[in-house]
This record gives sequence, structure tokens and C-alpha cells, in this order.
Amino acid sequence: MPSPSLIIDTLTLAPKPESTAVWPKKIECSTGSVTVILGRNHSGKTALCRLLAGLPTAATAAVSVGGQSMAGLRPAQRPVAMVQQAFVNYPHWTVAENLASPLRARGVPAAQRAERASAIAESLGLAGLLTRLPEQLSGGQQQRLAIGRALAKDARVLVLDEPFVNLDYKLREGLEQELLALARQQGLVLVYASSDPREAFALADQLVLLDAHCLLQVGAPAQVYREPVSHRAAQLLSEQDLNALGGGHWLRPEHLSLEVPATHSFSTTLVVHGLETNGSQTFLHGARAEHPEEPLWHARLDGMPAMAVGDAVPLHARSCDVLDFSDR
Amino acid sequence: MAAVTIDDLSFSYPGAPAATLAGLNLQIASGEAHALLGGSGAGKTTLLNLLSGLLKPTAGALSLGGRDLAQLAPGDRGVAQVFQFPVLYDSLSVLDNLTMPLRARGVGARERRAQADVVARQLAFADLGFGALDRVRPATLSLYQKQLLAVGKALLTPDLALLLLDEPLTAVEPSLKWRLRQTLKAVQADRGVTMVYVTHDQTEALTFADRVSVMRDGKILQSAAPSALYDAPEHTWVGHFIGSPGLNLIDAELVGDVLVREDWRWPLPAAEHFGLSGGWLPGSVQLGFRPEWARVQLGPTAEDAAVLRGAIASQALQGLDADGEFGLTEVRLPEPVRVRGPLSGEPGALAGLVLSRFVLFREQQRIASIEAPSC
Repeated sequence: MPSPSLIIDTLTLAPKPESTAVWPKKIECSTGSVTVILGRNHSGKTALCRLLAGLPTAATAAVSVGGQSMAGLRPAQRPVAMVQQAFVNYPHWTVAENLASPLRARGVPAAQRAERASAIAESLGLAGLLTRLPEQLSGGQQQRLAIGRALAKDARVLVLDEPFVNLDYKLREGLEQELLALARQQGLVLVYASSDPREAFALADQLVLLDAHCLLQVGAPAQVYREPVSHRAAQLLSEQDLNALGGGHWLRPEHLSLEVPATHSFSTTLVVHGLETNGSQTFLHGARAEHPEEPLWHARLDGMPAMAVGDAVPLHARSCDVLDFSDR
Repeated sequence: MAAVTIDDLSFSYPGAPAATLAGLNLQIASGEAHALLGGSGAGKTTLLNLLSGLLKPTAGALSLGGRDLAQLAPGDRGVAQVFQFPVLYDSLSVLDNLTMPLRARGVGARERRAQADVVARQLAFADLGFGALDRVRPATLSLYQKQLLAVGKALLTPDLALLLLDEPLTAVEPSLKWRLRQTLKAVQADRGVTMVYVTHDQTEALTFADRVSVMRDGKILQSAAPSALYDAPEHTWVGHFIGSPGLNLIDAELVGDVLVREDWRWPLPAAEHFGLSGGWLPGSVQLGFRPEWARVQLGPTAEDAAVLRGAIASQALQGLDADGEFGLTEVRLPEPVRVRGPLSGEPGALAGLVLSRFVLFREQQRIASIEAPSC
């Protein structure tokens, strides 16, 4: 493993965090890796992103990049570039001029600027569009351009704050893969804020869970998934609410199955209230037949199982998949 | 209620170089929930506006319940439309908003109230805390409630034959979307309304509709039930657009009765089984498979011609099950393909792929669906 290139130490996200629990306070990110900051709206994701970029924020930490402290450095002096949720490009400049703008600011000669701009355009699939204006680009191309401008800064750390949230899901899937390849090839430290667990698992080498301006947990995706520190941490990793078993015990929607498992198991029957499918997976939302008054349960099933609203569907889970937070 | 027939329909905006819609044909049965699915610029909303009468066709015909829509003014078509953002009057009560289409037709107050109560019951307004319909104003409602109100208003269109919905859930909070979809579906079944629902979201289309038309560049690539779109896409784009991630596509050659790709060989059943008379046509084809139709084999594969060879590029966890971690493995063949199943091996490791089934395409059109012989 390459040594950590970005270190965020003694992090606080708000002057008075809502919880006083003991959390990890240090995050280390290596070159060529992707760290996803996963949290709901207003959990402190943007505060952390702005902290790294050197923008005004309530968050505080000792940040270093490649061993160099960022203390007192202005945004332009940092080897950090940031891409925001909204596509921020210069509307009256062409794609080429937009890409060259960070270089112009640093006084790079015109010939070199043009060369670098076309190399970046090439790597982001914008090569044929250099003379267009941003408004003549599709949403996906505009966001690629914003990423391209960040790359032109020759930053070592690229911070992206929910960059694809305004795009169609098919575009998102493609851009996520492009970003991963980019981080690996160019040896960047990528820090990516998201509220979508699917996106987090698709991208992350390391996950950082934030909730209510608290750092809940830091670790590899599999480790965080296997051993979430709390119900709140487990909930962040799930697209739908966890199913409550009572007494601090919870079951993930993906651990309910139509088949009876071989090992000792738990069974329940859900009366279907709603179904959602994308072809690959189907979410079943239903009331437990035994406890119809409780909040609805959610199950994630493979494929498109044949069932309809009103059906009573027996479902099973392994006892070892039950999450136990009764002591927390 | 009424069936919709779209016959060789074309539409061009004046002065536009290319047609927005070109030669569309589609039948929608009476009482069917039909979704138009596609990216931006596919022509979905244009088709909706032609049905409602906001636009006039350049060529071709549209009929509803056997009546030619060209002969009917928009107000006489029995067509109602719900937009992305609810269109309501804040100066009127919920009741007056809901019954506006009835009032326009001169329906009396008592009858209006009776019909409003039926719709309010079907849309479960009471459970959602709407309050007294004649006192509450839309401004105090949530976006979800407002959109339901807009649907209720559309349902009260006199002689309603067709309800058009243009991305009605765009503004609704994600966790509430399934509830609104379910309510729409229930009311659709209950009232037997024919519905056409425009969306760019596959979950929306596959969940709501009896049949889905996938559109691209002003054409319908396939109209079919959700499971058929997933299992047997007629066009490579349909395969790509449906599913998350979409259909994997790789190149191969047809040589005699055998599919060939480098040292990979797959003998095909006789072409006649697939309704292809005259045998398999030799040449380039594409092979499409869903992430769960392939299995990753680790370690050095023996000289097995049924195994596609590549290397693991990356892995994304989706959960843990009885066999350990599972999720998506990206394998380079060298084309990147993604496989859903147990996660094992490290990036860089050699990996073989064994297919259980795939779809064969020539020039992007499906020619056959192939299953592995069970052994």
C-alpha cells in the first residue's frame, strides 16, 4: 500500500456536535484511492469538503497533503481541487477556455495551456467539443467539464461534493466508472461526498460515515458493512429503513429472502403494500402479518419475483444476520 | 375507457433538421398502464403532447377509443394531463381545485362534492391528513399531497378516457415515491383508466407499467412487459438502459454453427429453433448478458473452450450472504463486463467467466436468446 497522502486529524464538524460519543477523529487517504463520505443531508459532508478545499466552514481539523500541513494556506495555494453539486463552468468561455482557466490564473503560457486542455479533454471524452460553450453540452458533459477544470489545477486531492446528484442514473453509472479509472491512473486522492449507499459501495476503497455532524465510523466498505458501530451507521448503508425486531435488534432489507436458509433461521410473513423494481432487484414494502400495526418492513429481493399488492409473502433470514445494538 | 392507436406517427418542429418522432406505431389497450421510458431528447414528452392536443402531428394518425383525435379539439378528447410540478390555484380550496373540471362543465355543487369524495377516498386523502377539503388551501399541503391533488383533479375530467402523466414524481421525495406510484396504480385498476406515464427512470417504468415502450431518438425500440424487456431486449440500447448495471455486451463471430471469440467456442443449436430459416448467417455479432447470467471462475482455467478469459478490474460490495461477500465484479475481457455474485479474488487476478445464458444481437437487433445446455 502506498503511504497515506491526505491526513485529516482531530476532526470536528460543528462547534457543538449533537452527540458526545467517542468517535474516530483521524482519516487517512492514500494516493490512487477513493474515500466516500456517506451521510444524509445536513450531516456535515459539505463542511468537510470545504475544510479540505480551504473554504470558510464550521469544521476544523489538522489537514496535511503529502506530509505538508495545509494550515494557513488559501484555496489557490493548496494542491486540492473541488467540484460541487451544481455545474460551475464559465458560461461565456468555450470548453477549451474553461479547461485552461486554472492554468491561465497561474500564468502558464498559451501554447502549454492549449496542450494541457486538449489532453484533459481527451481523457474525459470531451475532445470533439473544445469549441462549444457549456450551454451547448449535455448535463453529463457539463459535469465532466467541471471535473476537467479541477484536474487542470494539477491537484493531488480531488474533492467532489455529490457531483452527479442532478444527473440521470445511466449517466451516473458511466461517470462513476470514469472517475474510478481517473483516480487510479493519475494517482489522485479522491474524496467523494454522497448520500447514496449504492454509489458509496460502487466507488469506495474507504468509507467515512457522518451523521448529525459526528464522525461515526471509518473503514473499508466490507468491514463497515460487517461491523457497523451503531444502528445509525447501519442505517446509512441501507437504501431503505432497517427492519425493527425490537430490543435493539435490526434486520437489513437484503437479508430477507424467499428461500429458507440452511442454517438456523428467522421467518415472518409480509403483506405487500408496494413493490419497486429495476429488473435486477425488487424492493417489497409490506406490513408484518403478525404485527400489522408496526412500521412497514422492507425486503430487497433478486430479480422480479411474481407477486402483487395484497399478497402474503413468507420471508426468511439467517439468525446470524440480525444486527444487535441492544448494548448501545 | 379507451384504447389508444398510434399509426405511423411523425412529428417535426418547424425548421428542425431532423424529425422529433419518425414513423411511430403503438397500440395501448383500454385500461392499460403504459410507460414511455427514455433519456432526454428521446421524444417522450412530444408524444404525450401529441396525445393531449398541445401539438399536431406532421404525418400519421392518433385515435382514442376508435375516434380520430385530429377531428377533436383538445377539450373534447377526454384526455387529462398531470405535469412534473402540480398546477393548482392557491386562492381556491382543495375541493374547488379538485372539482374545477366539473365546474367548467356546469356540474352542480352537490354532485361535485359527491364525485370529489369518491376520488378523495380512492387517493386516501384522509390517511394523509388533508383535513377538511372545503377549507384547506393547496399552499399548506406538502408537495406529495399537492401532486396527489393534481392527479385527483385530472381524474375528475368529464368523460376521461386517457390520463397522461409527465414525470409526475420528479419533485416528490425519493422515500415517498413508491407510495404515490402504488396509489396511482390502485386508482388506475379501480377506475379502469388508460394511463400513459413518461419517465427517464427505469424503476419508475418497470414498477408502474403493464407494458413499457423504450424510446430513443424519436423511435420506439421495444414495447413489452417489464420482464420481457429485462430478459429479452430487442435492441442493445434497451439492454443497456434497463437493469442496473445494464446488459454486458461483447463482440463475437459466427462461424458455421459455432460462436467464436479468440479461443472461446460456443456451439449453437440449429438456427431453425429460433425461427431463422436458412441457418446461421456468418459474420460479426454481439453477445449480451445480464450481470447475474455469468459466474466468475478463479485460478488458472484449463483449456476449456466454454470459459471466457479475463482479469478482475474492481469489485463493489452489495452485501453479505451465506456464502460471504457478494456484489459486482468488473472483469476485463478486455472489454469491461460486470458480474453479480459472490466476491472473491483480488483486482488483477485472472478470472474466467461461465455464461448460463445470453442474448445474440446482429447490428444491435436481437436474433436469438441462448441458454447453456444443462449438465
